[in-house]
Amino acid sequence: MTLDMRVTRQLPATPEEVFDAYTDAEKQKIWFSILDEEPGIVEIEVDLRVGGRQTAVWGPSPDALFRETQTFVEIDRPHRLVTDSTGSGPDGTTMTTRIEITFEPHDGGTLMTVVQSGFPAPEIRDFFTGEVWTGALDRIEAFLTAKSDA
Amino acid sequence: MVNHMVQQAALDRVFSSLADPVRREVLIRLGEGPATVGQLAEPAGMSLTGMKKHLRVLEEAGLIVTEKVGRARECRLAPAPLDDAMNWISFYQRLWARRLDGLDVYFTLRKGNGDHDA
Repeated sequence: MTLDMRVTRQLPATPEEVFDAYTDAEKQKIWFSILDEEPGIVEIEVDLRVGGRQTAVWGPSPDALFRETQTFVEIDRPHRLVTDSTGSGPDGTTMTTRIEITFEPHDGGTLMTVVQSGFPAPEIRDFFTGEVWTGALDRIEAFLTAKSDA
Repeated sequence: MVNHMVQQAALDRVFSSLADPVRREVLIRLGEGPATVGQLAEPAGMSLTGMKKHLRVLEEAGLIVTEKVGRARECRLAPAPLDDAMNWISFYQRLWARRLDGLDVYFTLRKGNGDHDA
């Protein structure tokens, strides 16, 4: 079982302009932190080709940085962009998901839709067989055996 | 060392709570979604009082959480494993809000400047 996330936004520019601003490293640096009151750390690199990577590193200080690396899977300028995204937080945990973005002409501007899929939601079966529970069943069995002996 | 002993004590509680078939059935049932004490007691052929005793054991082991909803008590699996996924989703929601807000302001400002120049 996995969970999906979906967001949409109407933007006042053509799909070509939005696609360009979204994927251009220099433009990204401008809009990514345009709303920040205090300048934090923002590093952006883009290699816009299938198999290429886009990396964004940002955060308030060097010891609280988030990093997102997207690998381009499909580039259909200026309509669609598919990437595999690996996010990692300051605590060292990572999560890999698929991001599909579409840029559709709408109402004189562009409707940008982001669908991020594949957030793992463990089922009860995984709950018992996942990392935390490795060996748990053996230990329960040992416990039960010990208990019945007593 | 103390941590280790605390962990052991927590594990012991988990294992002893899982040692009962009724409690294992409850966990599997809650894997499908939350349920009230009554909904859990009925298929097990138990009284509410009997089921509540089992639920207290599971709750003390940290395997389930219970919450009073109206006149019933609702039980669900402890959220620990789901928390990870939800944390990441809320992280990405903030990231995308930041990106889309940024793009919106970027184009709005540019359009404003463009109109001004023209």
